[in-house]
Amino acid sequence: MSTKPIHEVLQVSPTSAACLLGNLAIVRGALEAGVQFFSCYPGTPASEVGDTFARIAKDAGVFFEYSINEKIAVEIAFAASLTGARAMCSMKHLGLSYAGDPISTMPYLGIKGGLVIVAAGDPSAITSPNEQDQRHFSRFLYYPVFDPATPDDALKMTRYAFELSEETRLPVIMRPTTRVCHVSGMVEPGPLPQNRSEIEFSKDPSRHVALPTNARRMRKELIGRYALAESMLAESDFYSRTGDGKFGIIASGVAYAYVTQVIRDLGVLDRVSLLQIGAYPIPERIIAEFLGSVESILVAEELTPFVEESVTLSAFRNQRFLPIYGKNSGHFPLEYEYNPDLVTDVIREYLHLDKAPRAPVPVLDLPSRPPVLCPGCPHRTSFYLIRKVFGKKTVYVNDIGCYTLGFGAPLHSCDVILSMGASISMAAGIARVTGQRTVAYIGDSTFFHSGLPALVNAVQNDDDVTVCILNNYVTAMTGFQPSPSAREILPEADTGERRFVPAGVPIEQVVSGLGVEDVYSIDPFAVESTRQQLKQAKNGSGVNVVICNSPCRVFERRLGTDQKQSPYLVDQELCDGCSLCVRLLGCPGIIVESDKYYIDQDLCDGCGLCAYVCNKDAISQVGENVQS
Amino acid sequence: MSRAEQAIPKRSGWRILIAGTGGQGVITAARLLTEFSVLHGHQVLSSQLHGMAQRGGAVQSSVLIDCGISPAIGRGDADIVLGLEPVETARALPFISTKTIVVMNTIPVIPCVLAQNYVLGEGPTEYPSVEKLSTIIREVTTKLVTVDATALAKQAGSLKAINVVMLGCLFGSGLLPYTAEDFMDSVLKNVPPQLAKINRKAFLSGVEFGKTLGLIEESKV
Repeated sequence: MSTKPIHEVLQVSPTSAACLLGNLAIVRGALEAGVQFFSCYPGTPASEVGDTFARIAKDAGVFFEYSINEKIAVEIAFAASLTGARAMCSMKHLGLSYAGDPISTMPYLGIKGGLVIVAAGDPSAITSPNEQDQRHFSRFLYYPVFDPATPDDALKMTRYAFELSEETRLPVIMRPTTRVCHVSGMVEPGPLPQNRSEIEFSKDPSRHVALPTNARRMRKELIGRYALAESMLAESDFYSRTGDGKFGIIASGVAYAYVTQVIRDLGVLDRVSLLQIGAYPIPERIIAEFLGSVESILVAEELTPFVEESVTLSAFRNQRFLPIYGKNSGHFPLEYEYNPDLVTDVIREYLHLDKAPRAPVPVLDLPSRPPVLCPGCPHRTSFYLIRKVFGKKTVYVNDIGCYTLGFGAPLHSCDVILSMGASISMAAGIARVTGQRTVAYIGDSTFFHSGLPALVNAVQNDDDVTVCILNNYVTAMTGFQPSPSAREILPEADTGERRFVPAGVPIEQVVSGLGVEDVYSIDPFAVESTRQQLKQAKNGSGVNVVICNSPCRVFERRLGTDQKQSPYLVDQELCDGCSLCVRLLGCPGIIVESDKYYIDQDLCDGCGLCAYVCNKDAISQVGENVQS
Repeated sequence: MSRAEQAIPKRSGWRILIAGTGGQGVITAARLLTEFSVLHGHQVLSSQLHGMAQRGGAVQSSVLIDCGISPAIGRGDADIVLGLEPVETARALPFISTKTIVVMNTIPVIPCVLAQNYVLGEGPTEYPSVEKLSTIIREVTTKLVTVDATALAKQAGSLKAINVVMLGCLFGSGLLPYTAEDFMDSVLKNVPPQLAKINRKAFLSGVEFGKTLGLIEESKV
């Protein structure tokens, strides 16, 4: 009998205290709203939204998919919504821009079942190549946008967002940031619904077909529906006001949580009026009332001065001329996320309090701990061998995934990096203009995400590019979500030996089907044959593709399907300290102590690349490999 | 008045920072402490402060019990720091002040950047001595105690149990209004059965050690 524990998002109830991660609170809110369809492409800090749905979808009766990319995730959720299903899709901020084409027309067509797009923001670009403010999508494309300060906000806003979406027929954006997504906090869950929306696709081409004639008509309707959203929000609970002092503070997102704490800790509640902005468009009535009740305003919000400028406009429209401070006044910085100390300092200045006494932070010269490729990672072997064959001068264009860690010393396998899938198109662009063969690195999941059209483009233009698809059969960086190239393991009935069969889409066939004639399917750990094939690829003409097939070692261990490889050891008699192993590979398993080289026996994964590069034969395997 | 209330006078709640490296179980330790606190009627906010929990990066996680709505610890505002690794404990120094109690595991996880620095001849090449790191921390707070949690975890049967040993130290210290028995009867029961024995042993060894640290007395200094 199965004793699988019930997942916490299904287990929490309105009668008991519950603490949920912000991303899980969003899932709970969606479940309470009766969500029926979910799609996503993983991306930090939103990944746990999708990973949680992946676990509970069956029990909760929700259609679920990890989509190939965010554009598809949005489109398929929109389609589900047109049948009347309540639908959600999730992604990180960059994904929302990737889905820019469909999301810009969806508000015109309008939805049927409530549709909520989770687009998590990452102020300070902690795990992203940029920071951006998705709140602008409210004005830009007519989306109501929710801006939670806490996990509890995230739950309640998500639940309400479906209602707002259905009433206005607008898709809605839920925009949590890292400090909401990855914070666990107390929530007040509601009940799970008994009934779900009825599913039926009613044909109505005048609404469902985005032709210019229809678009022009729908454009006018859209303005009315957006105005309806504003008036509905004016009646909602997401603009809470605290205190009635003359010093006004308006705050949104996690900045609201910091401000709340700071004014309590400073004991200045009686001097301050605090207004939370929890959703956009900001109802004019709410701002107008607040403007009339205070003598000055400080706006605390991360990223752009979005609320600050709305408030400034409202003040002008209402002919209420009072000092408005925030980013434009220089009180808060335009860049990066806020923190309690920054908010304390600014509020102290605003309230004419003395500066907070604060000891200087001692400057320590501590060794850094940048993220590195794991011991035994097949990407390291691929990077090493490919650079060995293609040489230092070749331009290596890299992409988004674990293999981004090929950046810098010692692998030097990342000269350019831009965005998902851009390695192939940029490598083609550089090759065409310089006349030199370039190398593009891309992982399996990213290849399917957006590398496919770029590869066709390169084939069509006959660009001198060697595309190296680093296929580790999983989307590793964001938490081991399945990749289209995933494999299934079938034990042979008679021998019990493991046999891998493709569970999804075999990359070799896809690449050949796209018109690439030179396709090399290699196992990077088969070093000699790999080198031979890489030499052929280097001397080829036009596009060729090298598929480096080797499973992610960490994922294999998690699955319990890894072949346990015995660690390697340095023979101190033979090692002359030439440093090649460290200089070339940067494996965390190799350490130097008192001028001697050692291999950490706990960390070593037994891949043997260090033994291969050692030209003194000083590194060898300790024992036998065993299959677990 | 409970021992815990005596321990941290005047301020409401406990701000606990757990620091270590990717793979040491910092996030798990924070999750267990959070779950347990919620189960015992406390308001909790916990947060992962840095993004690279995987691939060997530095990891900090905070657990704020009965403190309010802000999810982050301000400068010098931690009540307790659990350092699972010496350099990572020192890296938490901005959150440490005279009032902070610091429990530090003395066994390093050597950053691979040191080997790189050594061969390239740039940057620090030696892991700072634990004595030096202790001195740096003691210049800010005298309430630093050290423990060989790595050895205790090994004795319990797994290096991966360092986080549970450190939680044991915290529970054994009596700083929080919690009992070690309650923890073992609730949260620790929910770990996968194959790990239960190791975790129990690791936790208990931490608890015994925590009792000897005299942290309640330290906190009054």
